[in-house]
Amino acid sequence: MAKTYQYCVAENWGKGFINHDESFRITFKSFPGNVWQVPAYNKHANLWVAKVAGVVKTRDEAQAIVDAEVTAAQSAWDANNVEGETAEQKIERIGNRPADITLGE
Amino acid sequence: MSTYKKEVGTAVQNFAGDYTGAVQGQLWYNSTAGSFQFRSVTTTGSWATGGALNTARFRLGGVGIQTAALAFGGQTPANTAATESYDGSAWTEVNDLNTARSALGDAGTSTSALGFSGPPGSTPVQNESWNGTCWSEVADVNAFRGDPGGAGSDNTSALMFGGTVPTGPETSALTESWNGTSWTEVADLNIARGNQAGTGKLNTAALCVGGSGDPDGTEQWNGTCWTTLANINSGRVNLAAAGTYTSAIVFGGAEDIALTEVWNGTSWTEQGDLAQGGKNIGGAGADNTSGLAFGGQTAPGAAYGDTEEWTGAGSPVTETITTS
Repeated sequence: MAKTYQYCVAENWGKGFINHDESFRITFKSFPGNVWQVPAYNKHANLWVAKVAGVVKTRDEAQAIVDAEVTAAQSAWDANNVEGETAEQKIERIGNRPADITLGE
Repeated sequence: MSTYKKEVGTAVQNFAGDYTGAVQGQLWYNSTAGSFQFRSVTTTGSWATGGALNTARFRLGGVGIQTAALAFGGQTPANTAATESYDGSAWTEVNDLNTARSALGDAGTSTSALGFSGPPGSTPVQNESWNGTCWSEVADVNAFRGDPGGAGSDNTSALMFGGTVPTGPETSALTESWNGTSWTEVADLNIARGNQAGTGKLNTAALCVGGSGDPDGTEQWNGTCWTTLANINSGRVNLAAAGTYTSAIVFGGAEDIALTEVWNGTSWTEQGDLAQGGKNIGGAGADNTSGLAFGGQTAPGAAYGDTEEWTGAGSPVTETITTS
């Protein structure tokens, strides 16, 4: 089955990392661990990955990076408790427990 | 046979690289790329990355425009008093709020702003005024709410509407107007809302969008009352907004939404997505052609400091002519 997405790891350096021309032509999605999802078989996406020196990952490799980040965030959330605090108060204080993420093919 | 010179009046010019001075529709030969190119314009708005906040956070206050914005308060996830100023490229830390808090309402500009109310259960009614250098406490709001909508020109004129309440009904329809000295209760929203988006440059002209209670609803304030207008296409909560009551954008929302919609005063149109989808994002901007998204919270729950800059449709882009 043809891939819909390709993945890379690249650190967002701010201004110029994604410019308006690229954003107009490509749909970007970012995930924990500096994982970026862009369209597969797309000239503009390939040029952007090269521009940002993205380290190309397979979908499974990218999923493993995201999973590690989410697991760490979940552990941190579980360990962050205040004595006497209700579940609702905890969510109000630090937000919902981090949810699992499944990357698209 | 028709030629480019005959049609346009000049021959195709040769440039080594992108011809930045080209006007819309102009053709040139890029001798570096070895291809013919022409100037086009974007047909939808898009987001580009900007400089990241120094303190990653969500549920923060944000005011100003794309090249002169202010971010204040928020959760890291602990409540923070940090305030930062954006110059169109980078965020610089400036003087903190007097009280660390999140889920606050916001109004004004980067040199004259107001931050009001805050999270349930702690120092809820405080109102602070920014004079371009520091924050000072001013008169409290009448009825505390978390995540209220905010609009207004500066620290002397603001509007606070909707939001969550710590007791009683979960959401509120209350609206209060600030005249630089005190808050006065005015006409309620048509529908009580919490975790909605609010924007507007005057306390007599504001927009309230989405939120729990009416996730796809839009209400417009004319200085006297709220009027229900066209729904957004994708209803949501914890979304952000920027612009005026007749020219605005909404973006982000729970959970992990990257969608952006553009308001022209009558209807909403979906356009380019954020690269970083999230909720509880800070927003600022002049209108639906120029906006700023900063900070936020991803579905895993983490705070981030990413900034994205919105430019509406009509930006110049270079197209390459290919032959096959």
